[in-house]
Amino acid sequence: MNDAVAITLVGVFGITGSLLMLFSAIAMFRVRDALSRINVFSPATGLGMPLIVAAAYVYDLHAEGFSWGSLLMAVVAVLCLIIVSSVGSNTLSRASVLSGQPVYRKTVPNRLASPPAGAVDEDPDAPKEPEEPTGRS
Amino acid sequence: MMRLVHGISYIAYIWWAIITGSATIVSRLFLPGRQYAQPMIVEVPLRCVTDLEVSLFASSITITPGTLVAAIAAGTSTQPPVLFVHALFDDSEESALEGLYDMESRLLAMTRGRAPTAAANTVTEVEQEEGRP
Repeated sequence: MNDAVAITLVGVFGITGSLLMLFSAIAMFRVRDALSRINVFSPATGLGMPLIVAAAYVYDLHAEGFSWGSLLMAVVAVLCLIIVSSVGSNTLSRASVLSGQPVYRKTVPNRLASPPAGAVDEDPDAPKEPEEPTGRS
Repeated sequence: MMRLVHGISYIAYIWWAIITGSATIVSRLFLPGRQYAQPMIVEVPLRCVTDLEVSLFASSITITPGTLVAAIAAGTSTQPPVLFVHALFDDSEESALEGLYDMESRLLAMTRGRAPTAAANTVTEVEQEEGRP
């Protein structure tokens, strides 16, 4: 691999990855609630960081020659970034929903807002009515 | 053998979905004069059965930019497990569900060797059966 190809590849991968991080950060200011912010951050972790790893691998390949060790490190790093980012986003969104973060009011349809069929959702602070006699003891 | 072919095509499909989703998020930043995103939370009754299928599908949805799993409801004896997916850039609920079912069919083709034939119940059908508004 000659110098020009290596430098071009490193530049394209590295700059594209960095720009994706920047644009994800800007996009986080354009949406209004926690769930959307977790959502629009996934280009940075799903594509931006693997591209930066690819740039580092190409640079290493050009500087020190091919070795199975660095290839293995790059592949494992990309796979782990994608898996960890996915599981992490799942956990974050689940935590944000379960902790009762407000959802942006223009979220339509919001299927989480209607209770599932058969759910008993009573207000514990409501004044108690006299209990009706039931068959069960 | 078919599962290997389906698996490779599924990985390529996920990569393509990540790239196009990132392009959507970035390009929408530079289109002024319109709303940046149209968030919605849709309900997806699953055809996935095993834990592996459900967790793979949830991870695939979340890693795709523009869709995010917000909650998971366990299945019962009469109802399939349900994912609640937060989607940002889809025009309508139907188009969001269509994309998700396409991904699910490809995933099930990978884990089972062939794509499932029966279509899943749509949300409106599920609601009619349950008598919900």
